[in-house]
Amino acid sequence: MLGTNVMSLDTDLATDGDSFEVIADCIDGLMQMDADGAAIPALAESFDLSDDGKTYTFHLRDAKWNNGTAVTANDFVFAWRRICKNAGEYAYMMSDIGNIKGAAEIMEGADPTTLGVSATDDKTFVVELNVPVSFFPSLMYFPTFYPINEEFYTGLADGTYGTSADTFLSCGAFMLEDYIPGTANLSVKKNPDYWDADKIQLPGITYQVVGSSDSALTAFKNGSLDVVMISGNQVAAAKEDAELSKNLTVTGAGYMWYLTFSQTEKNAQGGMLANQNLRLAISNAIDRESLVDNYVMDGSLATYTAVPPQFAASSTTGEDFSADQQKFADFCSFDTAKAQKFYEDAKKELGVDGFEFTMIYGNNEGDEVTKVAQAIKEQVEAALSGMVINLQAMTKAERLDKMQNDNYDVALTRWGPDYADPMTYLGMWITDNDNNYGFWSNAEYDKLIADCVTGAYISDYDARWQAMYDAETLVMQEAVIAPLYTKANANLIAAGVEGIDFHPVALNRVYKTATVA
Amino acid sequence: MAATTATTYEPTKEDFEFLAGRDITTDQNFASQSYWKGVAIHFLRDKRAMIGFGIVLVIIIFAIFGPIFSSYSYRDIVSYVDESGKEVVARGIAPQLGLGGDGPFADRMFLFGTDDLGRDLWTRTWQGARVSLIIAFVTIFIDMIIGMSYGLISGYFGGAVDNIMQRIVEVANSVPRLVIVSVLAIFMPKGMGLVIVALLLTEWIGMSKIARAEMLRIKEQEYVLASRTLGAHSMHIIFKQILPNTIGPIITQMMFSIPTAIFTEAFLSFVGVGIMLPQCSIGSLIESGFNNITTLPYQILPPIIVLALQMLGFNFIGDGFREALAPKLEDM
Amino acid sequence: MAKYILKRIGLAVATLLLIIFVLFVLVRIMPGNPFPSERMSAEQIANKRAEMGLDDPILVQFGRYMVNLAHGDFGKGTSLYYGAPITTVLTTCIFNSFRIGGLAILMGTTVGLILGITAALNKGHFLDHFCTVFSILGVCVPGYVFLIFLQYFFSYKMSVFPYFFDASRFLYSSILPALSLSLFTMSTVARFTRNEMVEVMDSDYVHLAESKGMYGSKLVTRHILRNALIPIVTVLAPLVVDLLTGALVIEKIYGINGIGKLMVDAIAGEGVDYNYVLALGILYSALYIGIMLVVDLLYGVLDPRIRVSAKEGDA
Repeated sequence: MLGTNVMSLDTDLATDGDSFEVIADCIDGLMQMDADGAAIPALAESFDLSDDGKTYTFHLRDAKWNNGTAVTANDFVFAWRRICKNAGEYAYMMSDIGNIKGAAEIMEGADPTTLGVSATDDKTFVVELNVPVSFFPSLMYFPTFYPINEEFYTGLADGTYGTSADTFLSCGAFMLEDYIPGTANLSVKKNPDYWDADKIQLPGITYQVVGSSDSALTAFKNGSLDVVMISGNQVAAAKEDAELSKNLTVTGAGYMWYLTFSQTEKNAQGGMLANQNLRLAISNAIDRESLVDNYVMDGSLATYTAVPPQFAASSTTGEDFSADQQKFADFCSFDTAKAQKFYEDAKKELGVDGFEFTMIYGNNEGDEVTKVAQAIKEQVEAALSGMVINLQAMTKAERLDKMQNDNYDVALTRWGPDYADPMTYLGMWITDNDNNYGFWSNAEYDKLIADCVTGAYISDYDARWQAMYDAETLVMQEAVIAPLYTKANANLIAAGVEGIDFHPVALNRVYKTATVA
Repeated sequence: MAATTATTYEPTKEDFEFLAGRDITTDQNFASQSYWKGVAIHFLRDKRAMIGFGIVLVIIIFAIFGPIFSSYSYRDIVSYVDESGKEVVARGIAPQLGLGGDGPFADRMFLFGTDDLGRDLWTRTWQGARVSLIIAFVTIFIDMIIGMSYGLISGYFGGAVDNIMQRIVEVANSVPRLVIVSVLAIFMPKGMGLVIVALLLTEWIGMSKIARAEMLRIKEQEYVLASRTLGAHSMHIIFKQILPNTIGPIITQMMFSIPTAIFTEAFLSFVGVGIMLPQCSIGSLIESGFNNITTLPYQILPPIIVLALQMLGFNFIGDGFREALAPKLEDM
Repeated sequence: MAKYILKRIGLAVATLLLIIFVLFVLVRIMPGNPFPSERMSAEQIANKRAEMGLDDPILVQFGRYMVNLAHGDFGKGTSLYYGAPITTVLTTCIFNSFRIGGLAILMGTTVGLILGITAALNKGHFLDHFCTVFSILGVCVPGYVFLIFLQYFFSYKMSVFPYFFDASRFLYSSILPALSLSLFTMSTVARFTRNEMVEVMDSDYVHLAESKGMYGSKLVTRHILRNALIPIVTVLAPLVVDLLTGALVIEKIYGINGIGKLMVDAIAGEGVDYNYVLALGILYSALYIGIMLVVDLLYGVLDPRIRVSAKEGDA
C-alpha cells in the first residue's frame, strides 16, 4: 500500500517517498541498501577512491535495461547532468550534499557538460568531488543518482517519460506493468533481465493508495492488502487484537517532528521568541512521552536531540549519533518546574506578564499532527500560566510558504533525513540557510558546520563527529528548535510475507529479498 | 360555528350535535381573520410542526446548557499520571455512566464516550451543535433573503435581466469554493466569520434556481396577468402574490441546504478555514469520528444523531409552515 | 428556438472566458506555492517561476494560457503529478468520475422518483413517513459514511464487492461508490417528488381529471408528475454536475482516481497547482453552464407556457 499517489517516476521530478520507492523497485543505483541500510554494490561492481578522497571511479557490471540495451556509464552521465540542469527539489543532493564538481554552477546556469562526471568507457564512471565526502557511496542508493537511458529518453515526446509502462525503462528488480499518472493503483512485475534476477522471489507487487488508516486496517483484515501502514487508534486496536498484534511491525520512518520558533522582530509580539529562556520554557513544558504514547501511538520515539536517533551511526564506533537521548536533559526534557523557572526568567527579561502566540501546522500531514498540535497547546498552557497558544491549521504548502517568508510565530514542522549523516539535520541551522526558519544566527555554529563540510574536519572522521556533537549542543542549549518525536511506521504484514527491508532513510521499503509463502 | 337568531328561544351549543364523527368543533372562520393570523393558528395546531419545534428547542437548550453543566469543558483533556510518571489520557473510551469497574477512568461519566484526545464527547457534541445551529440559521437567512429574492426577480423580469443574473450565478458557482475561501482568508481572520462569508457567497444559488423555476411557471398564470393589467407594482406581484404560491419547493429546498451548509463548513477545513481547534462543529466531529469509524464506531454516532434530529425537527417545522401557508392542502 | 440556443451558446463561451480569467487571477493570489519545496533555494524557485512565466504581467500570462488552451494544451502539473501533461491525468479521472457519477445519477433519480411517488400516493401512511425519515437521514449521513458501511458489509463481511476500485472490472467495482454517491440525490429527489406531487394532487385540474374518471398511472405520469417535475429538474441539475465531478472522500476511501480528489489535491495538496486548478475549473464550469442551458430548455418542454427565451414584456 501507499500513503499517497505516486507523483512522478522521473528521478528529476519525484520528491516523495512513495515515488522513490516505486522508482527504486524498477531502477538500480550504483549502490543499494542492505538490510541494515549500509551501502553495498548494485550496478557498480566495485569502486576506487583516489588518495585525496575526491575522485570516485565506479566499475559497472553487465546489466541491461528491459529494452535490451546495456546499462552504460553514459546513462549516469546523462541522468546526473539532467538533474543539475533542471535544478529541481533534489538537485541539491548533487551540489550541497554530494559536492560534485560543477554541480552548483550548473544549477545557476552553467553548461551541464562541465559537471565533474565522465564515462571513461562504457563500464567506467568517474565522479570528481570538490572536497572529500565521507558518506558519498551511501548517497548512491538515493534515486536522484539513478541512471536514465539517454537514447530512450530523447526518443520520447516531451513530457511523456515515466508516464506509462511504455515510456519507462527498468534496469532494476522489477519493471512497470500498469501505471498512469494519478492512478490509485499500480503494479510492477519481476524483471527477468535483472542482473540479480535469481535472488528476486516476488513475482510482482501491486500498490494501492489507501485513503485512511481505518480503511487500511479493514482492507488488511479482509485480506485485500498484505502490507499496510496504520496509525493512531488503529495501532491501539491492532495491539489489543490477539491475531493482528502478531502481524504488527514497527519500523523507523526517519523524519523528526519539531517546533521552530521565529526569532525575528516582526513576529511573536515583537520578537518575544528571540528570548532564549522563553523558548526553553516552551520546550521543557512539553510532555513528549505523552505525545507519542497517547496521540501518535504508532511506536514513534520521543526525541530530545536536534538530530533524531536511529539513522546516523558512526562508521568507526558503530554507535548511533543520538543514541543517548538524555545528553541535553538540562535544556530539553519534560519538567514543569524547570519550565516555569525559565518562564519566570523570560518574563523578567522581557518585562511582560503574558504571551499570545499562534502555532501553525499542516492539516494535510496526518491526523496525528492535528492531535499533537492540540495536545501541545494544552500542555504548554497548563504549565505556563499566562501563555496562550492559538492553533492555526493550513495546508502544508501554506505552512511552508509562511515559514519561508518568516510570517509565523511557532510552527510544527518536520524534516526527514536525505542521507545517513547527522549533517542532513545540522546543515539546516547555519545562518541564511533556506531551512533555518527561526532566522537564528550563531557564528560559532556556522564555523563548526563549515569545518565539517568543507574545512578542517573533512578528512578526520572522529573529529568531525565530535564537532557535529558540539554544534548540536549549541542548537539545544539555545532551544533553536524544540524536537518532539521521531516518526515510526506501524506496519501490518500478512503471515507468510517476509523479508521486506524497512529503512528510515531514502527508501522506506525495499522488496528485493521479500518472499511470499 | 355559532349561529345567532333573534327569537325568543336562544339555542345553546348543546342543542346541536355532529352528524359525522368529524371533529370540527375547533373550526374557525378563516374569512374573518387576517392571512397571517390564520397561518399562525394553523401552524400552532399542526401536531407534527409542534413536535419538530420541540425537538429543535431541546437541541437549542442542550447546545446552550449542555457544555455549561458538564464537568468538563470542550477542550479539557482528561488524564492521570500513573506510578511510573507517565501520563495516561482517557482517549477512545466508549460511552459509560461512570459507575465504577476496571480501569483508571471507570468512575467518570462520559455519556457519549471520549474522543481521540481524551475529551468528553458529550460536551463537544453540544459545543459543536452550537456551531451547526448558527450555520443552520445563517443558511435559512441566506436562502430566504438572497436566494429567494434573486431567483424570483430574475425569473419574473426574464429576458436580459434574467440573462445577466443567471450568468452571474454561473460565475459565482464555477469558481471552486476552496479557491475563493483561501483568497478571502488573506484579507480576514480565519474562523466563524469567514465561514459565514463563504456560505454567503454560494449557498444562495440552489435556492435562487428553485425560486426562479417556480417564478417561470407561475408568472404565466392568469391571476398574475390580471394583477399586471390592474397596474400592480412588480415587487407587489413578486412578493405578495407569487411568493406564497412558490413556498412549497422553497421550504423543501431550504431544508436540504442546511445539512449541505453544515458539511461545507467541515469541507473548508481542507484549506484550514473553519472552526479553529480545539473548538469543534458537528461537521468536524463527524469527520474526526470518521477516522475511527470501524475501530471506535461510537465516536461518529452522537454528531450524526444530533444532526439528524435537528434536521428532522426543521423538516417538521418546514412542513408545518408549508401547509399553514397554503391551507388548501389540509382538510379545510 | 435554434437562434435562442445559438445565442445562449455564445453567451456561455463568454461566461466561460470570464470564469477562466477570474480563476486565473484568484489562483495566483492564493497562499501557497506552485513549486512547494524545502530543498530548493530561493533562486531555484524563482527560476522555476520565471520559466513558467509567472513574472510576466497577468494579461500576458492569460493570453499565453488561452493560446495554449486553443491548442488543447492545459500545461503540466507543478506540484501535482509533476511533468506529466494534465490531459493525460485528466482523461482517466474524467473517465472514472463520469462513469461512476453517471451510475449514481441513474440510481439516485430512479430510486428517488419511485420513493417519492410511492410516498405521495400513500400520503400520511407508513410509506410516506418512511420516505420522510429516509430522505432526512440521507442528507444527514454523508455519502462516505454510507460507503464505509456498505464496504464493511458487502466487501468485508460478505466479499460480494471488491474492497477497492478496479478499473478493469468497472461496473462491478463501481456499484458501492455509485450507491453511496447517489444517497444525497436519492433523498433530495424523493423529498421533492413527494412534496410536489402532494401539492399538485391537491390542485383543481387534478381533481377535475379525477372526476372525469382518470386514475392510476396515466393520471400520475401525464398530469401529476409532469407538473411536479420542474422543481425536481431544477434541484437535480446542479447535483448532476456535482456527481459527475466526483466526491473527494469517496474517491479516497475506495481508491478511485477521480476528479474530486484531483481538485482537492490541486488546491490543498503539496502545493497550489495553478494549471490543474484551472483545467478542473474549466471542466466544472463548462459542465455547469451546459447543464443549466439544458434545464432552461427543459422547462419549456415540461410546461409549454414557460418560455425562458422570451424577451422582457412578452410575458
